[in-house]
Amino acid sequence: MRLAFEERGADYLLAIKEAHGQAAPVLLRKGDDAGTMRFDVPYQMTMILTNISRFIKEGRIAVVARRCDERAIAELVKRDLLNHDNLVVIGLACSEEQIRECRCTDPCPSSADIGHCAAPAKEDQAASSIQSMPLPDRLDYWIDQFRKCNKCFGCTLNCPVCFCDDCLLEEKTFTPEKGIPPGLAFHLIRAVHLADKCVECGECERSCPSDIPLLALRKMVNQDMKRMFNYTSGDPERRSPLLTTLEGDPMEDDGDAC
Amino acid sequence: MPVDYILTTCPYCGTGCNFFLQVADGRAVGVVPCKTDETSAGSLCIKGYNAHAFVNHSDRLTHPMIREGDQLSKATWEEALQRIASEMKRISDEHGPDAIMVLASAKCTNEENYLIQKVARAAIGTNNVDHCARLCHASTVAGLLQSFGSGAMTNTIPEFENADCILVTGSNTLEAHPLIGTRILKARDKGAKVIVVDPRDTPLSRVATISMRQESGSDVAWINGMINIIISEKLHDEEFIAARTTGFDELREIVKNYTPERVKSLTGIPEDDLVSAAKMYASADKAMIAYAMGITQHSNGTNLVRALANLAMVTGNVGRESTGVNPLRGQCNVQGACDAGALPNLYPGYQSVEDAETRSKFEHAWNRKLSEKKGMALTNAFDKALTGEVKAMLIFGENPMMSDPDIGHVERAISKLEFMAVIDIFPTETVKLADVVLPAACYAEKNGTFTATDRAVRAVRKAVDPPGDARPDWQIACDLGRLLAGDGFDFASPEQVLAEMAAVAPIYGGIDYERIEEEMVRWPCPSKDHPGTKVLHTESFKIGKGVFAPIEHTPPAEETSDEYPLILTTGRNLFQFHTGTMTRRSAKLQREAAGPYVEINTEDARRLGIIDDASVRITSRRGTITLAARVTQWIRPGTIFIPFHYAEAAANRLTNNALDPTAQIPEYKVCAARLEKA
Repeated sequence: MRLAFEERGADYLLAIKEAHGQAAPVLLRKGDDAGTMRFDVPYQMTMILTNISRFIKEGRIAVVARRCDERAIAELVKRDLLNHDNLVVIGLACSEEQIRECRCTDPCPSSADIGHCAAPAKEDQAASSIQSMPLPDRLDYWIDQFRKCNKCFGCTLNCPVCFCDDCLLEEKTFTPEKGIPPGLAFHLIRAVHLADKCVECGECERSCPSDIPLLALRKMVNQDMKRMFNYTSGDPERRSPLLTTLEGDPMEDDGDAC
Repeated sequence: MPVDYILTTCPYCGTGCNFFLQVADGRAVGVVPCKTDETSAGSLCIKGYNAHAFVNHSDRLTHPMIREGDQLSKATWEEALQRIASEMKRISDEHGPDAIMVLASAKCTNEENYLIQKVARAAIGTNNVDHCARLCHASTVAGLLQSFGSGAMTNTIPEFENADCILVTGSNTLEAHPLIGTRILKARDKGAKVIVVDPRDTPLSRVATISMRQESGSDVAWINGMINIIISEKLHDEEFIAARTTGFDELREIVKNYTPERVKSLTGIPEDDLVSAAKMYASADKAMIAYAMGITQHSNGTNLVRALANLAMVTGNVGRESTGVNPLRGQCNVQGACDAGALPNLYPGYQSVEDAETRSKFEHAWNRKLSEKKGMALTNAFDKALTGEVKAMLIFGENPMMSDPDIGHVERAISKLEFMAVIDIFPTETVKLADVVLPAACYAEKNGTFTATDRAVRAVRKAVDPPGDARPDWQIACDLGRLLAGDGFDFASPEQVLAEMAAVAPIYGGIDYERIEEEMVRWPCPSKDHPGTKVLHTESFKIGKGVFAPIEHTPPAEETSDEYPLILTTGRNLFQFHTGTMTRRSAKLQREAAGPYVEINTEDARRLGIIDDASVRITSRRGTITLAARVTQWIRPGTIFIPFHYAEAAANRLTNNALDPTAQIPEYKVCAARLEKA
């Protein structure tokens, strides 16, 4: 609170607090009684932030952000979907357990205001064990996983960098299935569509009620992006290599296209 | 504060997921899952994620209305309430209080249902109070009361994850109870065996270990068949049977006749599958049964529930974690509406109205004489309206013009009534026929509690103001109670109502707002220091010993004929909910499943010359509807399925009001029908 309002001059603080025995998102103003703050439950703060920013007409919002939130914010700022001048980022270092759960290779925020940086994870066992399968088995594995999908759209709704106004997954041309589970196209569109944006926050996997290993899928796509374009999402400086002209130059203007 | 997050309970199915309603500028604008909620654990289904969408809809009822000729005209609250009270008094004076039927609502809170049944019993003076549990799990309440002594889910939702075997029947769990369905998937991923028995291939059956498609209405046969195999293979739990049950010998005699061959001829289930399923279920250390409308909505629904109880007891799968018989309740508060006494034969807390001692307890608590006569079931009330025995109905948040079987019959019955008042949030098909309409607050606009299917009492918290002049049902019930009875309805808050309910219903004895605000408590919870109960019947059954019921297979009330050669069964899809009042006003849900359709098997469609999306006419002995064909391999040949959400082709124009003799639940799951090109 003190850090957000006094030292960094924010007007609001978006954080997680204890309410009704649960960890609850909360938007606070200076002087509000915060009660007990909680830093142990990984809510997707960037998604919560973008959902409320249109209702905050003026003032700066401080947000308790993990490293992946910082990177998600960078993706949104690059596309002019968020104004960095209106934000105060309070860095939260993830616990060892959280790092293990996300198999996170980049866990330390640029300023660890809360908590201490722990060592990054080495590699994603889930992704590498899938990659070690022969291709036909790999397809069977994914089909079995995708059969569990009941189309809650949790992976999309909770994703910090899923921001299209008209979602292709709601478009009947690409996902014509009536009922559930949706077909492979549903998951493939999502896999490819986020290729130059995903910051591996793991929220898709965490919010999937059916435990589909979506983070493993994301990590595999990100590995390809790294290999093919030497590009890692969440870099505030570099534009997506997918946004290029026919001449191979980076696009100049339509940076907010997805 | 410009943005708030209000923790509340989902208004759709009975799973009881909690989430945060995101409120901005006084409007509900979004939903955020609650990561630490024991039930939903940070996930939701598509309906939950869209639970804010209908709240601000422009169709919301915003002011009371009174009928003048063909039209409903705007009225003040005082005029409308006075009109209801004076009509109730007039009809009660002229024909007696039993000429009035009160419908409570599984969409209302516990507190509201308590008040509504109190209005019926203590203010009007009749036990004629019922609600849509009659249409979904009346047979569960009756059947499990007889077998175990308690009509509720024996175990809890999180326990599904740790079961070794889960038998799911008559439940399209991934669509109708998505977050229970996904718990079953988690168990499967951990190695549990999943057996699904359903006439349709459901999203769950497609990933199950064994999937069996029985002919609709043949369920006693396969359940008895499984018990027979279990006993002959000596896989039954002799110790449990001897120590904790009665009636095993009679059961054994009956099931002997259900050989796999005979079961195949009655149900169509291959012998090998039945044997494998029986061994799989009986060999598991912890096996759970989950079921829903496919078991209950039959003219032998109570017997079917008892047959499942037999199966669980034979294998000793009751009274331990991750076992039991688990009815999945379909409405956010259908469990609570039953608990609160919105049933014609039971006071709050499942206490019989016919028991003199109990009645005198309630007479003392409510300070007036109460009717000794058991009330009327919802499904009988419309018959009695046609014959003139019922003259008036007071309907809180129900839509019988869509939800009840044989709607043509309901419509004729309503036209015979002298007076009907409806309290609702939207102009439903039933509202349109009312004499007085009162606008209600929806779940997001009031405080209270819902009781989930696993007996967890969960807080509903006010996030936004009701639109226009709309008021919460608990205030409306109090106002009506005061006008009709004078005293006994002076409650300032739902909290005070729950306190009174806890005082008269021992299963809620220890539950109060202070606890609900901070913890999840499951009934029975008899005292403030009691932690609540997860697993029922651990040491002994509520009635001492569990009772085996020897049940014989009986055919459904209506069988196919040359004229009506197909079996029609009805149910839900994932995206819509019940009569569509809320979901069809939620853009994202409506987009996913916009219009009515009938599922027909590929072979049947080829034979009849029907292609996918063709317009077809379905006719039963009661009515005809026209809708689109959905040609699919996922349904048994000879069976067709229609979701009941769509007013423009209401499945319940066709269904049969044949009732289970014990529970008066209608046979929605089987009627004979004909399908033609339209």
